[in-house]
Amino acid sequence: MPREHLLKIGVSGIRGVVGPFLTPQLTRAFAQAFGTYVGPRRVVVGRDTRASGPMLQHAVHCGLLAAGCEVTDVGVLPTPTIQFYTARCGARGGLAITASHNPPEYNALKMFNAAGLFFNHYERSELLDIYHQSAFREATNAEMRGVTRDADAPVRLHIEQVLAQVDAERIRARRFQVALDAVNGAGAVMTPHFLQHALGCELQAISIDPGKPFPRVAEPGPETLGDLARLVREQGCDIGFGQDPDGDRLAVVDETGRVLDNDDVLAVAIDAVLARQRGAVVVNLTTSSAIDDIAAARGCRVYRTPVGEANVVETMLATGAVIGGEGSNGGIIYPAVQSCRDSYAGMALWLDRLAATGASVSALVEGLPRYHRRSATVGFEHGRLGPLMQKLAGRWPEAQLDRRDGLKVGFADGWIHARASNTEPLLRIAVEAKTEARAAELFTAAEQVAADPSAILGG
Amino acid sequence: MSARSGESLRISHVGLRGIVGRGLSAEQVVDFASAFGTFLGGGPVVLGRDPRASSVMLREGVIAGLLACGHDVIDLGVVSTPVIQHAIRRHGAAGGVSIGASHNAAEWNALKFLGGAGTYLSTAEASELLDLYHLRRFTFATWERVGRLRQEDDAIDYYLDGLASVYDLAALARFKVIVDCANGTSSRILRRLAERHGLRFILINERMGALAHEPNTSAAMVALQLAPLVAPAGADAGFLFDVDSDRVAMATGAGVPVTEEMMLPLLADYLLPRSRGKLIITNLSTTALVEEIAARHGGKVIRVRVGRQAAMDAMAIYRPEEIGVAGEGTGAVMIPAFRFVYDGIASMLAVLSMMLERGTTLTEILAGYPRYSILKGQVSFVPQRIPAMFMELERRYSDGRVNSADGLRVDWPDTWFHVRVSQTEPIVRVICEQKGEPPRALFDALMDQVRQYAA
Repeated sequence: MPREHLLKIGVSGIRGVVGPFLTPQLTRAFAQAFGTYVGPRRVVVGRDTRASGPMLQHAVHCGLLAAGCEVTDVGVLPTPTIQFYTARCGARGGLAITASHNPPEYNALKMFNAAGLFFNHYERSELLDIYHQSAFREATNAEMRGVTRDADAPVRLHIEQVLAQVDAERIRARRFQVALDAVNGAGAVMTPHFLQHALGCELQAISIDPGKPFPRVAEPGPETLGDLARLVREQGCDIGFGQDPDGDRLAVVDETGRVLDNDDVLAVAIDAVLARQRGAVVVNLTTSSAIDDIAAARGCRVYRTPVGEANVVETMLATGAVIGGEGSNGGIIYPAVQSCRDSYAGMALWLDRLAATGASVSALVEGLPRYHRRSATVGFEHGRLGPLMQKLAGRWPEAQLDRRDGLKVGFADGWIHARASNTEPLLRIAVEAKTEARAAELFTAAEQVAADPSAILGG
Repeated sequence: MSARSGESLRISHVGLRGIVGRGLSAEQVVDFASAFGTFLGGGPVVLGRDPRASSVMLREGVIAGLLACGHDVIDLGVVSTPVIQHAIRRHGAAGGVSIGASHNAAEWNALKFLGGAGTYLSTAEASELLDLYHLRRFTFATWERVGRLRQEDDAIDYYLDGLASVYDLAALARFKVIVDCANGTSSRILRRLAERHGLRFILINERMGALAHEPNTSAAMVALQLAPLVAPAGADAGFLFDVDSDRVAMATGAGVPVTEEMMLPLLADYLLPRSRGKLIITNLSTTALVEEIAARHGGKVIRVRVGRQAAMDAMAIYRPEEIGVAGEGTGAVMIPAFRFVYDGIASMLAVLSMMLERGTTLTEILAGYPRYSILKGQVSFVPQRIPAMFMELERRYSDGRVNSADGLRVDWPDTWFHVRVSQTEPIVRVICEQKGEPPRALFDALMDQVRQYAA
């Protein structure tokens, strides 16, 4: 793997392979920049269960204390719980030490403002300037504040907030049989408590030991949740939930043991919210058109944004959306709980929908508008992205083009979305169409353009 | 204390020391910890800190650097340096880090690095550590080998077990002792000592945290709050510790402050008759009474440059059993039974044991020594003019016996002076001693001459 992938310092923060790349030095400096930016007040710090987590957390504490901040250490907790508590406890900001769905050798910092929201573009670039200039606040002994621990209040407050948005009594009355794969991550302790005690489910759980390494690929999805699917089948569960290591993403398994497509997970959650409350919906450009059909059926409007949680959230706040998310990565954003990807809000919405309709998971999915999807990732040489995009745009002169995030080529019966990764020279191609044949046709055509260098060089 | 940033950071063989936020930064802490983690072989590292607010920031940075290098860290919390040194040996740890600026004012802090036996690093080891720090060439563990942290809350108890094996602690309960803890780590240790062994302590400035006064162990500091309380409290003696309890000073039962210079001769007088080792290792700035005491017990004084480093290097060239005691005129004394760790608590217990065995008071014991008078001063300097200053002093005082191992020391019968540049602060120190009355005229002349070259 080329070196530049192993460490990334940019507007999205700092992320890298721990050891030779992501060091305590960089982490301390970034945290001190963060503390300088938010000011000498309280900052909430938590982490997922990665082996490097404690080391990086101490480096973060060091930088924050040096900047004169007061640190509230919430220990191992899901990212949405850390975000919720940051907003609730009067902090100036929060930091989650997690590389989310990335492999265990990676770690990263996620940065939140006083509202518990991801830093927006302006906040991130200002922070990056402070980091690059090393223009840190340096507190003296008299200005130095300490570290306090607070592990219980965040869990309690977050769960209370989630339960208040659904009919918890009705869920508890059903005594759902639920399977869980928490990937030994930050949800390993909180999620069983949430499902069993808060929502009265009968729980069958695997990978709920926060002291052990991730037993599977960290990103939850159809390819990685085989054990969970088997558990659902063998135990005859109503539903299975799969989390990523920091508990923001959610995957769902139906009662037959089939892992749902992430777009379908989001679509059911959106339908569940719109069934009770009309309002705007915000999803990214790569999310399924099923959302448009669902919203149209309820008389609601859909806004599309570039890929990225921060982009979706920004538009949700601006439009006063009632629900949103990113189908591409299993992120459900339910502002009634909070404006960030929150697997707990997602689980509650799903169970609430099951309880309200009496339908099975597979029946809910069957009821969704049907689209066929394909996706792939293609490498490109640096400097070749422009010509490649031009070629794609030129291939379908009759189509509708959306250039807000890479290139989205829209047809009456489907679309192609091609966008470069923010972190690596990779082009992600997603295709969706109403029929399998049309999806295959568009996908093959797009892949050919992207993969054939002569086509690019030939102009 | 003035705090221009260039003057408030000191990176040397002793470690890292400076004013937090005005010279000493989190960046240096993490780098130094990473250098130390790279320097040490495998194994856990023991960590402790003093109660300063900034010590928590330093602690977090040290833990991050050590864990990143693959060392497990055993954090003892707020404890004295001797407790850390004791725990290093007990755990067979690779080394240790003591966070705290000892006798410096509240705004300062420092990292002290300790080797596998709990001792301070030798000059060669310290040089290697400094090279690693300057090169910033750190060896970090891969993600799955990053170290783990664990807290240990009972290190003081294990340390007290060590003290109990050397001193008859129950017998010392006959004394009533008043202690000025200078808001440092000694208060925790002494409280536990009282609980476990029934010792009777009255503690002042015992709340750890904000410093009620400068935590140095000078006689002036003893006189400030402690000495006036000894007699009214009906105490047999008073003791003053610095923040990390490696230095100690005294007041008699009558409330008379005892100069910090007396701690080493007193303990030499107690330990030499009991010890096979007859060497006393001390520095060039320490009282000549040490030579008189050595003579009484067939001992010999080895004088080295000022600084812990020079003492460590000197001790390394003798067999441990040859050494009776080591220490300096600051009240920092190493007792062989405790593997040559500067330990104020052990020193205090030795003084009390001496009172017990001789069945007499501290005043009586001190009356048995001839009077020496020492005068100490300091002057800020201009670095470029230091060599000229020393040449001038050496020319002027060429009638004495000249030693230029560390600045300039000149000896006459019953009188000596020592002028040297501090390793930790940008000052020239002037020390002048005479048997009997204070050498006021010589001291004043020296101070005037040094000031000619001052900033």
